[in-house]
Amino acid sequence: MKKSAATIIREYGPFPGAERVNGVTFDGEHVWFASGDRLNALDPASGEVVRSIEVASHAGTAFDGEFLYQIAEDVIHKIDPKTGRIVSTIPAPGNGGDSGLAWAEGSLWVGQHRGRRIHQIDPETGKILRTIESNRVVTGVTWVDGQLWHGTWEGDDSDVRRIDPETGEVLERLDMPEGTGVSGLESDGGDCFFCGGGGSGKIRAVRRPGVGPGPAKRE
Amino acid sequence: MDSLITAAARALATGDALGALKRVALRDDAPALALRGIAMAQLGDLVRAKALLKSAARAFGPREAMARARCVVAEAEIALVSRDLTWPTKALEAARKVLEAHGDRVNAAHARNVELRRLVLVGRLDEAERALETLDPTPLPPAARAAHELVVAGIAIRRLQTKAARAALDRARQAAREAGMPVLTAEVENAARVLSAPVARLISRWRESPLLLEEVEELLGSGTLVVDACRHVVRDDQLSVSLATRPVLFTLARTLAEAWPADVARGTLIARAFRGKHADESHRARLRVEIGRLRAELRALAEVSATKRGFALSPRRAGETAVLAPLVEGQHGAVLAFLADGEAWSSSALAIALGASPRTVQRALDSLAEEGKVQSFGRGRARRWMSPPLPGFPTILLLPGPLPSD
Repeated sequence: MKKSAATIIREYGPFPGAERVNGVTFDGEHVWFASGDRLNALDPASGEVVRSIEVASHAGTAFDGEFLYQIAEDVIHKIDPKTGRIVSTIPAPGNGGDSGLAWAEGSLWVGQHRGRRIHQIDPETGKILRTIESNRVVTGVTWVDGQLWHGTWEGDDSDVRRIDPETGEVLERLDMPEGTGVSGLESDGGDCFFCGGGGSGKIRAVRRPGVGPGPAKRE
Repeated sequence: MDSLITAAARALATGDALGALKRVALRDDAPALALRGIAMAQLGDLVRAKALLKSAARAFGPREAMARARCVVAEAEIALVSRDLTWPTKALEAARKVLEAHGDRVNAAHARNVELRRLVLVGRLDEAERALETLDPTPLPPAARAAHELVVAGIAIRRLQTKAARAALDRARQAAREAGMPVLTAEVENAARVLSAPVARLISRWRESPLLLEEVEELLGSGTLVVDACRHVVRDDQLSVSLATRPVLFTLARTLAEAWPADVARGTLIARAFRGKHADESHRARLRVEIGRLRAELRALAEVSATKRGFALSPRRAGETAVLAPLVEGQHGAVLAFLADGEAWSSSALAIALGASPRTVQRALDSLAEEGKVQSFGRGRARRWMSPPLPGFPTILLLPGPLPSD
């Protein structure tokens, strides 16, 4: 397993009216983050919140290229970012113990916090297709370049780790500085992760190693 | 933190305890137990709340020291509000240190406040004052600041510093308003009432009048020779002599002071001090002995001189003499003073607060109950004592956020 200290490139927030960051996702242009009763679109270049959608948002957030997905209590809402409407709702696999959400390969991937596992579910029905066990609490999930990464946060210890999607084995680990926790995780598709900072109300851009230096390429 | 826990915590933060319970009622993991505990406490079921917080503290993992510490602080606060003074203070101190070490300043300060309130409640004012100096309330959120100022006011009131008490209560009122919590505002108003209600009686030349706290402070600073029946001391503005362990001498001093500047007949002194109906020769002899002792005790403060029909008191420095008497007379005044905070006390908690033996306290409670001055409920160890509510100690519950990972 490769182990290194996480490099924080930039910090955003805290933002007025958003006490917590419960989940983050990236639509190619904006970082969306869940702050409890709203989804907020952050422009990562300017650091400004440019838009908000009123919707319950208690944990992970994901984007499938067209729709946003948001965990609220024990369900997952599918939201049209253009209108802010909820278009459908499916049950969350952890019955409310859910804490991270990612979109990849036509499936939703849901972290189950204290259950210490990640479920792959059918985004239409919520049916569990497969479950990957981790040995730490899961606080955020993301896929990038065929790699599965998740965040953990227990007490003072928090890291971002890449795991083998078949076995759950930890392949690589980026340790967050003490007192800095990860409550949501999303890749920008390049060399950068966006990490939700829980009750700090911050979002941190963390370098993904092995991609080469320099800012992420925007298409 | 997972989804339902976040939702429940949000509900709790807005005062919706039932909404929080609804979301986590069936869950037994550590954060759910902690949230259920806090919610039950806010709903007033302190027994259930305590049990839930205890199991939450046990259920948090070894990496979650901070979450565990917050549970301990909440437990301690519940114990304080339910006047369970037997609760281990060492655990609270340890929890506070964990919170400090993890940079959770708000909850560490909250823990300190709980420690302080306990010290004030049990009358350890010097310790409370020393602890106060190590705490700067400025960066605290408004609710915690209000609770802090209530402690400052509580100490000032017990120190008879009415100006300082008034200033602290004003700051508490302001902070409670900022917090937007009606319960807290009511708590401050309740505590402030002690400044506008009589706290003692002044007896001089056989006449009596009620005194406000401020007037007590003035009286004690005025240079008057005061026979203080609340603390069983005789004092002027320079010197104080305690007669707490000499009840006969104190009764004589008080009787003489009540009559000042007139003298008191031997028969009256004998009746008050020895509870004898007729003054025979042996009583007269004993009175002479006790007056001799009193003369020696009060040497520096006053002279006790014989008159034709009895004895008279004349202060050495002071121009006036007066008696400061409690509102409620009787041997059990101290017990009543604690019960006057309107809370339900166990007899063992009262014993700790009074520094007396449980048997002594139990006897006092029994006789007060016979006179209808106190009432009890519950049985065995759960038995609690109350008196009709009077203004006193802060009773607010401002539990810390219980959750890990933020």
